[in-house]
Amino acid sequence: MAEERRFRSASGAPIALRRRQHSASCRELAVRGPRLQLRSLSAATSAVWLAAYGLFALSENSMVLSAAIFITLIGLIIYLHFVKIDQESLLVIGSLGIQVTSSYASGKESTTFIEMGQVKDVVINEAIHMQKVIYYLCILLQDPEDPQGVSEVVPLFQSSKPRLDCLIEVYKSCQEILEQTNTAPQSS
Amino acid sequence: VLYLIWAYIPETWLFSLGLTYWPQKYWAVALPVYLLVAVGIGYILLFGINMMSTAPLSSTHTITDTYAKKQQQKKFQEEAIPALRDIPISEVNRMFFLPEK
Repeated sequence: MAEERRFRSASGAPIALRRRQHSASCRELAVRGPRLQLRSLSAATSAVWLAAYGLFALSENSMVLSAAIFITLIGLIIYLHFVKIDQESLLVIGSLGIQVTSSYASGKESTTFIEMGQVKDVVINEAIHMQKVIYYLCILLQDPEDPQGVSEVVPLFQSSKPRLDCLIEVYKSCQEILEQTNTAPQSS
Repeated sequence: VLYLIWAYIPETWLFSLGLTYWPQKYWAVALPVYLLVAVGIGYILLFGINMMSTAPLSSTHTITDTYAKKQQQKKFQEEAIPALRDIPISEVNRMFFLPEK
């Protein structure tokens, strides 16, 4: 079963959270950011081309114009493939692990898998980031030999920074599965 | 005061007094300019240093530090205010976000 709700990111852009329950101990939470807008694309393209035309008018060198076209095309490809993240998803499988995938606008997907033995907890932390204090969801990893300490912090949903209401939904979903994982070894 | 005298009196008068070994007059203007530019850059530099020394989102310093790791747990006494301690972030999160309204 899947449900989708609309939220806002930390900078005000509209994002959507989709929650799917695959089984009793497996959930997928995906945050989808806004697509590349036509108006920002045309604004950037016309700015670059106007600047190139201004240079051409000053220097009478026609290579400037073709260079501007190349720069625009290559810049767009690099942006879509390396920078623009369309969807970030979190797949929590109880007793197995957590998988984090980011899919870019060009179709590229990068995944990270963290096994359940390393996961201490999934918490909402608040920290200073670029002159703002933001809430962000993170996975606390633990050392195998030091169960009390936190060895590493993995922040999630870095590019589509959701606000606290969206994070609370994701947090509650994750905690339901993590509780099952923590109480199951004692009951079996 | 010495600075003002040196800046304003022309060179020939100072030479006639016998004082010949002064820095060039160029520096009378250059030094204040250097100072003001340094103050302006100091603002930007301080801003940059602040941003650089903020812990990144993925560091454990946002969760705990050496004092919190070494704290000792005091025993719970009846009818006494509980001792002050650093509560772990998992407990804080559960208290804040899990209870249904």
